[in-house]
Amino acid sequence: MTAATLAMQPAPRVVLQYRDVRKLYGDFVALSGVSMEVERGQVVCLIGPSGSGKSTLLRCTNALETLDGGELLFDGVPLPRDPASIRKVRQRMGMVFQNFELFPHKTAIQNVMMGPSTVLGLSEQQSRARAEALLVKVGLSDKAGNYPANLSGGQQQRVAIARALAMEPEVMLFDEPTSALDPETIGEVLNVMKALADDGMTMVVVTHEMTFARRVADHVVVFESGQIIEQGPPAQIFDAPIQARTRDFLGHLGWDA
Amino acid sequence: MNLDWTIIPASAGALARGALITIALTVLTMAIAVPCGIGVAMLRESRLRPVALLATCFVELFRNLPIILVVYWAFYVMPVVFGIAFSPFITGLVALSLNNTAYNSETFRSGIKSIRKGQTEAALALGMSEAQAFRKIVLPQAWRRVLPVLATTWVTLFKDTSLVSVIAVGDLAHTAMQIRSQSFRVIEMLTAMAAIYWLLGYPQAKIADWIHKKFGVTE
Repeated sequence: MTAATLAMQPAPRVVLQYRDVRKLYGDFVALSGVSMEVERGQVVCLIGPSGSGKSTLLRCTNALETLDGGELLFDGVPLPRDPASIRKVRQRMGMVFQNFELFPHKTAIQNVMMGPSTVLGLSEQQSRARAEALLVKVGLSDKAGNYPANLSGGQQQRVAIARALAMEPEVMLFDEPTSALDPETIGEVLNVMKALADDGMTMVVVTHEMTFARRVADHVVVFESGQIIEQGPPAQIFDAPIQARTRDFLGHLGWDA
Repeated sequence: MNLDWTIIPASAGALARGALITIALTVLTMAIAVPCGIGVAMLRESRLRPVALLATCFVELFRNLPIILVVYWAFYVMPVVFGIAFSPFITGLVALSLNNTAYNSETFRSGIKSIRKGQTEAALALGMSEAQAFRKIVLPQAWRRVLPVLATTWVTLFKDTSLVSVIAVGDLAHTAMQIRSQSFRVIEMLTAMAAIYWLLGYPQAKIADWIHKKFGVTE
């Protein structure tokens, strides 16, 4: 195959593939036999009770946790084990944390510039241009010089999203991005995420925001006790769940399926 | 009582030289003990058990020995056992640095441990190496947190440098004691010595207070 025809090849449809993934913390089984797929451009929402393994699966995806069994393929390639290759994989995935984890000793724009300048080796000027554009995108160009301590929770999380996007990732991983937020700032973060989804970003989102999952997700996965109990399009999960346990979980949240 | 305060202006030059040596000892000790402290703190957290153990032994040895003993040890024992003999000034510097490195390493270790694990994870998630995450994210934050403690250590060190006077380093304490024993002006020289230490130490303590206020943890 020549380079030209190689370039013509469409990128593989499936970006992330989980095959019988297992994870243990001592005696506690965090994940037992999880299998699912994430396709390019899809928004996949992971829902389920706290401690059901959703966040663990997300953390395994960019190797913040190691698997104890099964396989995790990114772009058809199993996740590597050696630090240098893991770094390469992480550079292609953005991660947003529940507690934002902005770097408190850096301003908003310096936070966003951190990846491009430190990891990608871009010049100060290039990183700054990229960061400025991203702050505009998340609606915070006027807060570029603020330290995280002088930003609201919603603003911090939007900076954190911009920081992850600055690496121009192929996949964005969101670990309960609105769980630590005041109710009045949740909407601004979800709107940014919705806009990203509309741009065609591949996203895996651990969330308790059922309305968001319902409205934005292409595929919803329901976790319980480290296992997937049901997965399918939002219409199935929210309107006609097959499993009684899915109905129970949604019922507890006040969702009337 | 017969007091003769003219001895103080008469020995002003010597006292000033002594004060300079005291200041130099403080500055140089910290210049050595801060980077070494960070180094020992990192070694203590090493995944290689023997390395961590060795660093722990170092810390527990030197922070639990009286400084004056370390000073004597460096002066009398080191030349005999290791065949290394330095000038009194360097010997005093070595002793003070050993002690302060042990203290600073504990300070930095607690500072580094106080930074949430999520900060390192956020750095790793961007694709940084462990070393980059430590250098760019963890250490600068830890540094701010320990600055108040370092400031206090500094003020203590400034006074503790007087302990090296026992090996004739020529610092402020040693100089004052020399003049006292030659002139028999005990009260005058002890008073002058107290005044000079206090006048030099007080502003440093005030700066330390200011650092406490400015860099106290806010998140």
